[in-house]
Amino acid sequence: MSPTTLFVQQLINGLSLGGMYALLALGFTLIYGILELINFAHFSVFLVGSFIGMWTLEAFGLSGQNVIMTGLPLIGVLLAAFVVSMFSCGVLGVVIERYSLRPLRNVTGPMAMITTIGVSYILFNIILLGAGADTKNFPNPLPELRFHILGAVLDVRVLLIWVVSGSLMLGLWFFVQRSRLGKAMRATAQDPDAARMMGVDVDRVILIAFFAGSALAGAAGLIFGLYYNFTSYIIGYTAGLRAFTAAVLGGIGNVPGAMLGGLIIGLIESLGGQYVAVKWTDVIIFSILVLVLVFRPTGLLGTLAPQKS
Amino acid sequence: MLTRRAAGKLIAGAAASTTLAGAGFRSALAANKVIKIGITLPLTGADAEGANRIKYGALLAIKQANDSNAVKGYTLVPVILNNATTTAGQYDPAQAATNARKLVADPEVMTAIGPEMSGDGKAMSAIYSEANIATITPASTNPDITNPKYASEYRPAHDHAAVYFRTVATDAYQGPYMANYYSDVLKVKTVYLLDDSGAYGVGLADAFEGQAKAKGMKVLGRDRLNPTEADYTVSLTKIKGLNPDGLYYGGVMGAGAKLVKQAYGILPTAMVKGGGDGLLAPEMLTAVGFPAAEGWYCTIAAPHLTQNPKVQPFVKLYESTYHTQPDDYAVTAYDAGLVITAALASLVNAGKPITRANVREAIQTSKTPTLQGVVSFDQNGDIVNKIISVFQVVKNTDYPLTDIIHQFKYIGTAPTS
Repeated sequence: MSPTTLFVQQLINGLSLGGMYALLALGFTLIYGILELINFAHFSVFLVGSFIGMWTLEAFGLSGQNVIMTGLPLIGVLLAAFVVSMFSCGVLGVVIERYSLRPLRNVTGPMAMITTIGVSYILFNIILLGAGADTKNFPNPLPELRFHILGAVLDVRVLLIWVVSGSLMLGLWFFVQRSRLGKAMRATAQDPDAARMMGVDVDRVILIAFFAGSALAGAAGLIFGLYYNFTSYIIGYTAGLRAFTAAVLGGIGNVPGAMLGGLIIGLIESLGGQYVAVKWTDVIIFSILVLVLVFRPTGLLGTLAPQKS
Repeated sequence: MLTRRAAGKLIAGAAASTTLAGAGFRSALAANKVIKIGITLPLTGADAEGANRIKYGALLAIKQANDSNAVKGYTLVPVILNNATTTAGQYDPAQAATNARKLVADPEVMTAIGPEMSGDGKAMSAIYSEANIATITPASTNPDITNPKYASEYRPAHDHAAVYFRTVATDAYQGPYMANYYSDVLKVKTVYLLDDSGAYGVGLADAFEGQAKAKGMKVLGRDRLNPTEADYTVSLTKIKGLNPDGLYYGGVMGAGAKLVKQAYGILPTAMVKGGGDGLLAPEMLTAVGFPAAEGWYCTIAAPHLTQNPKVQPFVKLYESTYHTQPDDYAVTAYDAGLVITAALASLVNAGKPITRANVREAIQTSKTPTLQGVVSFDQNGDIVNKIISVFQVVKNTDYPLTDIIHQFKYIGTAPTS
């Protein structure tokens, strides 16, 4: 492999990772933007999403990489899997908000954040005890289709990640910027009391933010499984932490910032792994995070929250 | 090989005596004194299947010893203890330690077979040492337990005399012997190394690396995988760029399953890919599966005998007695039983009293013909004749694709130098 090919290949790897991190980072950022709450349960919602995706695909009779589909059946099965895992995770997010976080809404301090850590552990352990500790063979009906760019291999699964995460992010962007509900969200993020006085149903806005963020985590979980062909009870932590870092790097609370942060972390991971060493990946990622925060405490695209008390 | 033939005869003879023994020996046995032999294995939970195969191997040797009255004037009585707990769901070193104390407390227990797991062994060895009880493990391969460097930890009493004997080799030989195999048999000139950050994996890769360099192989690089990380495509792309002849991975299935899975489609099929006994696990077929697992090499720190023609009389006898197939650790457990029987018989024949210390000494100095050849031990309890067996994942459509016995094809033993 020539150096150029290698570079392009790692670029492709990095963008795929970045797409996944970005989807997850959006969940952190949406909820932080509105509640100023770091939702650690998001790690495990992602994990649950990948298991629900796996079970859905298995319900269609798929197991391992033995069944390959093409054309409309493939699109149908994938669509069904995405709908089921996104919707279930969305509902899970709503349940978490309604029953574990809303009662703590007016409690100041780190109580809510600690609660999300607790919820995260509960979900993690339910999956561990229910599904077992072994690595699961994730069903993958995608055909082995590869394209070549400058000698680098572009797998059809990579394209799927790009297309799905790109369109979901675009959809979210339009939703937040253009729709009435999105406007209500932005208003709540800016000043919940003023928004309430203007007739915004703040509780509903918060529920919707949880639903949307968690649904994106569900999509990320399914994409994860389809890309790597495996899932396991352990996947939530590392991916979740990187995604959280991405959200902070881009400016937590800022939607385009989360996307940018995700892509940057993905690229650092792949290019750092190539030109330094894979074992240094975390050191590089977190050093860059520290540096960015020293010089731009609000992250790359973040601005200081104007009227938060 | 001669010794294996001798062992074959031994089996055939014993089998014949089993049928002949019958009522004739019964009355004689009734007057016999009792020697208890502990058998400690994780008999329930995740490890149950393998543990029961080992148990039957040990029981068969004890049964034959009794049937043929190999230890004159004594009846050998197995004391079977379960090292697994429901809370652990698998082997549990705390339970293993409790079991070791139970055996020590019973004055009729003279020696033991087990444990299967190195974690259990680490918990039990010092307890056995205090009581001067020898145990023979048919399966645990962690080198630390018998390493003289850690003698004060694992055999603190009785002048650090060995109490933890093995009828298998250790992990310290899997890496180097596999490096020989890469170099001499597979003609690998350049190699890239990966490990999974764990003690076992790093040790295995270190051992491989040392011998690979001694063999004149060029090590193009080494990297460390984080087992909680999902993505290894970055590492694999880097390896693809360097294009070594071979890749060696030290580690268990945690990172291994993801590595093997993602290597498929990135690394060329022609590249030699392999690891240690961490890869010879059910997950290689269930979590990874075909086509990704195809072609990967792995090793075990024991001889592969269940398919050896000379061992077939044993296999048949085992199957007809216990209605299940033996695996290689059932064979090494049977060998452990043969060593113990021979040691006890030698004491009786020499007119020496049966004490724990004497039995330990007799095992230490024994040279016993067994199914895997003559078994003898060094001063640390390690087997002298160390054999590393090489396997390769080769799809065999005659059997279920998750059948661990038939989807790992036995290739041969790895060169010792």
